[in-house]
Amino acid sequence: MSQTDIWTERYRPAKFDEMVGQQEILKRVKSLVQAMNIPHLLFAGPAGIGKSTLALIIVKALFGESWKDNYLELNASDERGIDVVRQKVKDFARTKAISNVPFKVIFLDEADALTKEAQQALRRTMENYTNTCRFIMSCNYSSRIIDPIQSRCVVFRFKLLEKKDIREVLNRIAEKENLTISEDAFDILYEGSEGDCRRAINLLQATASISLNINQEMVNMILSTTKPKDIRVVLDYALAGDFVNARDKLLDVMLKESVSGTDMIKAIQKEIWNLDIEPEIKVKLTEKTGETEFRMIEGSDEFVQLQSLLASFVLAGQGKPA
Amino acid sequence: MQDKANPLNKMSEDKQSFAEKYRIKSYSELIGQSKAVEVIKKFLNEFPKKRGLILHGPAGTGKTSLVISASKENNLEILELNSSDLRNRAQLEERLKPATQQQSLFKKGKILLMDEVDGVTGTDRGGIPELVKLINSTKYPIIMTCNDVWQSKLSPVRAKSTLVEMKPLNVGLVVSLLKKIAEKENINENIYFLNQIAIKSQGDVRAALNDLQSHSQGKDILEVDTKEKRDVEENIFNILRKLFKERSDSRKLFDKSALSLDEILLWIEENIPKEYKNEVLARAYYALGNADVFRGRIYKNQSWRFLLYQSIFQSAGITYAKPNPLPGFTKYDRPKRILKIWINNQKIAKKKTISKKFARLVHCSTKRAMRDFSILKPILLNPNVQQELQLSDEERDFLQK
Repeated sequence: MSQTDIWTERYRPAKFDEMVGQQEILKRVKSLVQAMNIPHLLFAGPAGIGKSTLALIIVKALFGESWKDNYLELNASDERGIDVVRQKVKDFARTKAISNVPFKVIFLDEADALTKEAQQALRRTMENYTNTCRFIMSCNYSSRIIDPIQSRCVVFRFKLLEKKDIREVLNRIAEKENLTISEDAFDILYEGSEGDCRRAINLLQATASISLNINQEMVNMILSTTKPKDIRVVLDYALAGDFVNARDKLLDVMLKESVSGTDMIKAIQKEIWNLDIEPEIKVKLTEKTGETEFRMIEGSDEFVQLQSLLASFVLAGQGKPA
Repeated sequence: MQDKANPLNKMSEDKQSFAEKYRIKSYSELIGQSKAVEVIKKFLNEFPKKRGLILHGPAGTGKTSLVISASKENNLEILELNSSDLRNRAQLEERLKPATQQQSLFKKGKILLMDEVDGVTGTDRGGIPELVKLINSTKYPIIMTCNDVWQSKLSPVRAKSTLVEMKPLNVGLVVSLLKKIAEKENINENIYFLNQIAIKSQGDVRAALNDLQSHSQGKDILEVDTKEKRDVEENIFNILRKLFKERSDSRKLFDKSALSLDEILLWIEENIPKEYKNEVLARAYYALGNADVFRGRIYKNQSWRFLLYQSIFQSAGITYAKPNPLPGFTKYDRPKRILKIWINNQKIAKKKTISKKFARLVHCSTKRAMRDFSILKPILLNPNVQQELQLSDEERDFLQK
């Protein structure tokens, strides 16, 4: 285990059999790696379910000790745009691998954040350097990856981790770190993680910084800092017909706490059921909320769509369906 | 859809792009930038009074074209450098030094063209000081282009150079250029359509030509009203007033504006609640939401045909959200959202740098780290972790707050 104090790293699986979940995918990837030759790979699925971990395991299995010399990791959502593809990828891809394996590996994380143009450029690069370089790409939504790239990759769709999987991960850590986790605390940890194992571990470590006996209240205390505050204030303004204040507050919350539109939508969706309105209207609002979230994922402007949703809450406040 | 797209791609690959094909070769062909032409003429005549010149302005305003025509007019050779050549001081020196001291073989002299110097700043350490040194010693004029000349990193270069601003072309000029090229290419586009392309381009000629080319080759020419209307620039407040107050056909309302549809969308977004309430408000935002969906699809798939839908939703959709015309005068606001976002970004700069360091260590994106920042905060307060991340004192202070 490496010498880090960040648990997501300290306990990141380094071998195939340490991984939790994704057993079907593991089997197939393992056989590819054993042949010492991998095609380009595309890992699709939500955050925190093992995409980056598996990529790291693959390169460690391929290159052993020298994996760092033969591996480049880029996060597309931080370094989007065509320049990254042209410069970093090309520079790395054009030199030969320094190992028994005849190619290097580039892990392009969150590749769906790349612009269309960058993806087009990438596609050429993949073709040109295919002898010296293999790509592993990860994305949340494979629909955002252009077809020509998908067709050059073997696509693996990762499943959301099950509750028992996350439990196993947390238990392993608890044992090593001498923690006790109460049953109900575990439920809250799982719920708060939203199936994202990285988030679950971070939550656990944050809570453990208060006490080694993890109970429900402590997890809730940490979690309460993550929820967009004042979401209820936003909705109450809207229900009272004060659209302008609702909107200003919304932007305020999103900016101050760096909440993305999709996170905001999730919080709103949960809050709907605590509001004092007719259940039929709640169902209608949920429908509108779902549509809003879908539109955001498909590339619409978060704030325009959220305003449209808020306008429906104004109507709901008057007892009218959206 | 797939069948249509393939031959289309092929064509655009085989053919030269309009932007290259019609790249100008003399000062007289350059439209709308007579002031810039004067400055560059003076600069070349008076060289070496000033040794560097920066052309700055948005994309597609003719920066590169101006340099090319200057070289043709004066029979000079262009030595082009781009920022990727300039990864560091040594490379820059190696490439530029000989060039600034040799005589050109076939022509009288040279212009050193350094495109997009804003690109030099970020990753190329030492690039800027080296550039300044070279401006001081060069035997040939150095012309640089960039989008934003006012960033602080360029200030030493700025001090050594003549500045020329290239303004976005107004819609009228872009339209007349499109008309000329449409004639030469035998493209039968009506004027309303050319107007749409021109407005959408926001003064970016290259973008306008690319759009013209892709539409003409795709043969999916928009069937639109052919009635010619004078290209009057109507100010945005008048447009908003008509849109919100009246109940008459507003589908052509934006043609006259110098603003792009997307900019107008922001104006509408800001001002809907000033005019509309309740059901009308909800209907208007519903329409605006639809306009935005099509806007997103245009960007995602480059399906510019959808511009039509965006335009109708954000014009007629807003107009007919209300059952009756509205009386009275309303004072409209400028869109505030973009400014607010910018101000906020300044405030959370430290949070971002910390998240970036953390993200690099744990194989995730900065964005994700920022999203979970409140969970990470107790972890980040651990001195060992701070050590590991090599946080600066300011960053440590930020976490203590």
